[in-house]
Amino acid sequence: MTQSQLIRKIKELKRVKPKKEWVLLTKKQILGQEATFELFSFFKPAYAGLFVLLLLAGLFQFSQGALPGEYLYYFKKIVEKGQIMFSSEEEKPRVNLELANKRLEELNLIAEKNEVKKLAKAMSEFQANVSQTAESLEKVKKIDKDIVAQTKKLAENKERVEEVLATKIETKDYDNALARLVEREILNLEKSSLTQEEEGLLEKVKQDFEQRNYSEALIKILDLSQK
Amino acid sequence: MEHKKKLFSKIYDKYIKKIYRFVFFKVNSQEIAEDLTSETFSRTWASFKEKSEEIENIQAFLYKTARNLVTDYYRQKGRSVVISANNPSVVDPRQNLEERSLLNSDIEHIKKSLFTLKEDYQDVILWYYLDDLPISEISELLGRTKEATRVLLHRALKALRNQIEEV
Repeated sequence: MTQSQLIRKIKELKRVKPKKEWVLLTKKQILGQEATFELFSFFKPAYAGLFVLLLLAGLFQFSQGALPGEYLYYFKKIVEKGQIMFSSEEEKPRVNLELANKRLEELNLIAEKNEVKKLAKAMSEFQANVSQTAESLEKVKKIDKDIVAQTKKLAENKERVEEVLATKIETKDYDNALARLVEREILNLEKSSLTQEEEGLLEKVKQDFEQRNYSEALIKILDLSQK
Repeated sequence: MEHKKKLFSKIYDKYIKKIYRFVFFKVNSQEIAEDLTSETFSRTWASFKEKSEEIENIQAFLYKTARNLVTDYYRQKGRSVVISANNPSVVDPRQNLEERSLLNSDIEHIKKSLFTLKEDYQDVILWYYLDDLPISEISELLGRTKEATRVLLHRALKALRNQIEEV
């Protein structure tokens, strides 16, 4: 064996290594639990609050796609309750309308997937939201484009779900609230001085009202109020 | 203390394999190597947390502690460091097939031969070829001049080759 061969063989002894489990265990015994893994130094009490916060934020974010009857749906609802709680009185009608639309989208998804078990829960969630929306519509002082857009969306969503489910969805409170809102706006417009063209548009609003096309009526009312 | 713990945690990660290997080739037993290595780090941690500023060279401190523990081990057990390479008791007790196949017969042969060398020869070979320590650091660890360390390394290699050829 030459010198270089011998040295090469000696260097091969580097392959002798301690067992990984023993290395970790010994470190734990010497330094205590918290210093065992550098990787987990994040889990210090000082970071615990932040960690929980991030975990919850992730959970809430993740829950946004949950459907009624699913475990994560509960977190989705918490987020929405927070949304309502932190919105001003003026914003509440729009936020409630958005949430009622969300419920209809969930219903649509469930109906399309044919997840029959979730249907009843989704329907009651929608009913709860839509009556809350009806209540907040009573407080609308001025119609804006967001409210108009959301009521239109709700009418479309409702129609789509009714088509898929082949059933009529009862939204009496909401319809009544919307009717009162349109009626109030019609009365206000009648009091104001209008051009001939505007008078014509108001007539169309009245026709929509008669035919219970409240969302269509609201679009025209918004047009008139912006003129 | 937390800062010291963090520092020592890094030291542990950096040196655990080296110290284990250093001890293992001296005691030729996984179990004893584990015990003595663990004790080496426990003692070093005890000193480090009390007076880390007094430890100038942590690597040297670890090797010296390990070396002393190995010496104590042989003294207490009344065992001789020099054991015949043919003695079956020096065979690596590990039963792990993968590990055994890694250490093929040639390597096993060198390991056994290394084990029979005197302490200074073992140390200089392990430090220079396995742990890649420069001659200057080895000379400090052994308390010799650089020249004397080079001569020692040369003699150690010669002794190892003789031992290999003898067996």
